[in-house]
Amino acid sequence: MTHPGSAPRADGPEPQDTRRDDPSPARPVLAITGLDVHYGLRRRRRKVLHDVTLSVAPGETVGIVGETGSGKSTLARAVLGLVRASAGTVTVAGEDVTGHSEAKWRRLRRRGTVQYVFQDPLRSLDPDLTVADSLAEPLLLRGVPRGEALARIRPLLERVRLPGELLDRLPGEISGGQRQRVAVARALVTEPELVILDEPVSALDSANRVQVLQILKELRTTGVAIVLISHDLGSVAGIADRIAVLYRGELVETGTARDVIRRPRHPYTRLLVSSAPTLHTAPADRAERAALRAALTT
Amino acid sequence: MLRRVLSLPAGRIAVAILTVVALLAVLGPVLAPHDPLATSARTLAPGSGTHPLGTDYLGRDVLSRLLAGSRVSVLGSLEVALTALVVGVVPGILSVYLGRAFEWVTLRVVDTLVALPFLLFAVAVIALLGNGITQAMLVTGVLVSPLFYRVSRAATLTVARSQYVEAALIAGASVGWVVRRHVWVKVLPPIAVALAQTIGVGFVIVSSLTFLGIGVQPPEPTWGGLLASDLGYLSYQPWAPVAPALLIMATVWACNLLADAIRDVSGEAGRALVAHRRLRAGRRGRTEPAPTGGAS
Amino acid sequence: MTALSEKRSQQRSQQQSQQQSEQQPGHLNASARAGSSPGRTDAAGGSDRSAAEAAAATGPDGTAPGPEAPVLSVRDLRITDRAGDREIVHGVGFELTPGKAVGIVGESGSGKTLTCRAALGILPPHVEVSGGSVHIAGTDIADLTPRQWTALRGSTVSAVFQDPASYLNPSIRVGAQIAEVVRVKTGRGRREARRRGLDLLRAVHLRDPELVYSQYPFELSGGMLQRVLIAAAIAAGPRVLIADEATTALDVTVQAEILDLLADLREQTGLALVVVSHDLAVIAQVCDEVLVMRQGEVVEHGPTAQVLHDPRHEYTRLLVAEHEQYGLDRFRAPEEETR
Repeated sequence: MTHPGSAPRADGPEPQDTRRDDPSPARPVLAITGLDVHYGLRRRRRKVLHDVTLSVAPGETVGIVGETGSGKSTLARAVLGLVRASAGTVTVAGEDVTGHSEAKWRRLRRRGTVQYVFQDPLRSLDPDLTVADSLAEPLLLRGVPRGEALARIRPLLERVRLPGELLDRLPGEISGGQRQRVAVARALVTEPELVILDEPVSALDSANRVQVLQILKELRTTGVAIVLISHDLGSVAGIADRIAVLYRGELVETGTARDVIRRPRHPYTRLLVSSAPTLHTAPADRAERAALRAALTT
Repeated sequence: MLRRVLSLPAGRIAVAILTVVALLAVLGPVLAPHDPLATSARTLAPGSGTHPLGTDYLGRDVLSRLLAGSRVSVLGSLEVALTALVVGVVPGILSVYLGRAFEWVTLRVVDTLVALPFLLFAVAVIALLGNGITQAMLVTGVLVSPLFYRVSRAATLTVARSQYVEAALIAGASVGWVVRRHVWVKVLPPIAVALAQTIGVGFVIVSSLTFLGIGVQPPEPTWGGLLASDLGYLSYQPWAPVAPALLIMATVWACNLLADAIRDVSGEAGRALVAHRRLRAGRRGRTEPAPTGGAS
Repeated sequence: MTALSEKRSQQRSQQQSQQQSEQQPGHLNASARAGSSPGRTDAAGGSDRSAAEAAAATGPDGTAPGPEAPVLSVRDLRITDRAGDREIVHGVGFELTPGKAVGIVGESGSGKTLTCRAALGILPPHVEVSGGSVHIAGTDIADLTPRQWTALRGSTVSAVFQDPASYLNPSIRVGAQIAEVVRVKTGRGRREARRRGLDLLRAVHLRDPELVYSQYPFELSGGMLQRVLIAAAIAAGPRVLIADEATTALDVTVQAEILDLLADLREQTGLALVVVSHDLAVIAQVCDEVLVMRQGEVVEHGPTAQVLHDPRHEYTRLLVAEHEQYGLDRFRAPEEETR
């Protein structure tokens, strides 16, 4: 299940997927090969992603972990067609979307195969639209009549454990945890094959965090592929099958969650593992982190 | 929106005054006790039973002339505001979406319009096209449209860069969908504010032009014209300009008050303000004294 | 639950006995108390005076470490919102001796931030302390005048908050802002303030202090800004540093750096810490003692190891379970066995 992007390392064999049987799918939901993305023009042009190769199978949960500026959001935006690749290919549900025109993208998006959940639901939900209107929007865009759209969002609300009376509220009138679940529900209305979530739990407190993670776990059992983007290994560790570590625009490590966390190879992954807040920390960790930081800056 | 504006005392005052002015414009000529053009021998008379506001230098009833003149002022200012609205808002919103060339051209046109002094321009247009308030107001409307262009463009820009618009685009929305469903609602309140302000400005312009005797032929009564003729006889009747001046002032003030009130109650902050006021009013069992919204 | 309430009542009685022994001097003013209070070392008494008198005090460098007098003691603190006329915090109590770290964990609205703000004397309008007491270095904050507060903040108790960028003036260089704090709080001259400012930036492990000193806030990353604020917070050598969600907005790697820095400062200077977070693991990383708050109530209070190992309250169990089921702990715990 590892990919050419994560260069093989001298120490030890390629990690084996021990946690779950390899689904050995005929067709990955998402396949990215050799993706390069640049921002800026001419002299200000700089590389944000370099030679990223990653594929996500149906029903698989992949965590993409990296620090601010590592390019993880850009990766998501490339998959959604919001930024152009300067090299490499992106294939979504078997369709090569790398050179798609705006009109083709719109058609693809309306099908709703890939959905995206923004980090901050307060900003990604229109403050002047009720929860019902926000949830119905993707369906209305597909041409579903309003009445039918409203009928279809009701069961979704149950799925994300929200009471029906929330439908008439505005995003500003519900709690942060409820908003995040509304955002997740909105991503599910089109019955997508792949849902990408940007930091879905980092702004939430424990109770809401557990609830959102449980919803995602349930979602996974329905065969939907999930990509979780986070700066925190700890917040994806709970549900990710595989973890890909992005560092300065490159995938430096890809493997099963267990392997990456228990036997990290790249110094940055080691720092991530050692930095993730856990309940049982040893004083020795501090010295280890200091050493890793020093190693990464030189 | 109107209900929320009316929840503010300032909004109630503004709407009340503007309603009265609008009624004057519609019913003015009917309500006038005398023929506004009829002269009489009693020139420059002080207020009395038959002439509540006295008569002017030709013995015409001042109240009747004020009432009859209100229609010109109201129609003129509305014409300015609505012209500016249409001419400004449409390119304002589109400038965000129709690409760089359109954006560049409209921005330069707006810069040019801002540089033109609209009162002088209005005078010039009348000189060119003949004495008519309608043409003058149309041209003035175009000249004040940059306000609407700027306001709607700024509001659209903030919305266009928001995440919920991006979320809609990811769901496959087209530009038209985004404008109809997300942008329009957010652009309306600032446009309403600009509209109320511009109507106020329109009153000032109409009054200024008619004060100068431009746009309306002299025997026809107008607020500005009344003010001008009264000023000529200031030494005989020092109180005479007060009535038309007060009327112009109150109307313009009400427009600005309304603009403030709309701004105060619109958007997230406005919703909170209104909810808070209701809560407080409910708890204390009485309404608060009018906190006239912040300076404009 | 019975065990918990028993434990709490035990704590309370302990606190009460301490309270009695400390409150013997009664309502004398602070400097007089410092002299007359029996079980206290000179060093603590000295900074007691400094707190009450002026900012030009002997730094904490002279403070002898030891388990003696608490630098911050909060007893049965109650906070009420006068506008809504309801109690928001219902009796929080903890003691902090030099070099110790107490953590407060809870969701938003649990009253953890208000507790800190009360200890800093910066409660929002309409909100006030309605019961209990807060003593900073032996001084009851209820008796403080605004002037004494100003002297106390920064030089005895200091704080860093969640959004570092909003606490710095964006148009003034970082160095000038730190030097200003140094000059105001310690009365040093310009040149000396600069030297001390650079020392402080070095003390918070900024890689190139000279460069950072001459930079504007927008040129620095979130983690660097938080370090600059910690530098400013410790400029006048406070004895207590309150970190209220200070690492929440940062990447985990940067968060770990800041937490490590706090731990270093604590070890090197005997700085006492109050760490507030919604994440129990953050607190587990730095604190010896933890308070779990929920809806203004302390639902659990005890040594960190004990609370983590044997959580009593249902909410604490949820906090622990969240990490064990969904966090890295899920992979870490069995690792010990395999080794």
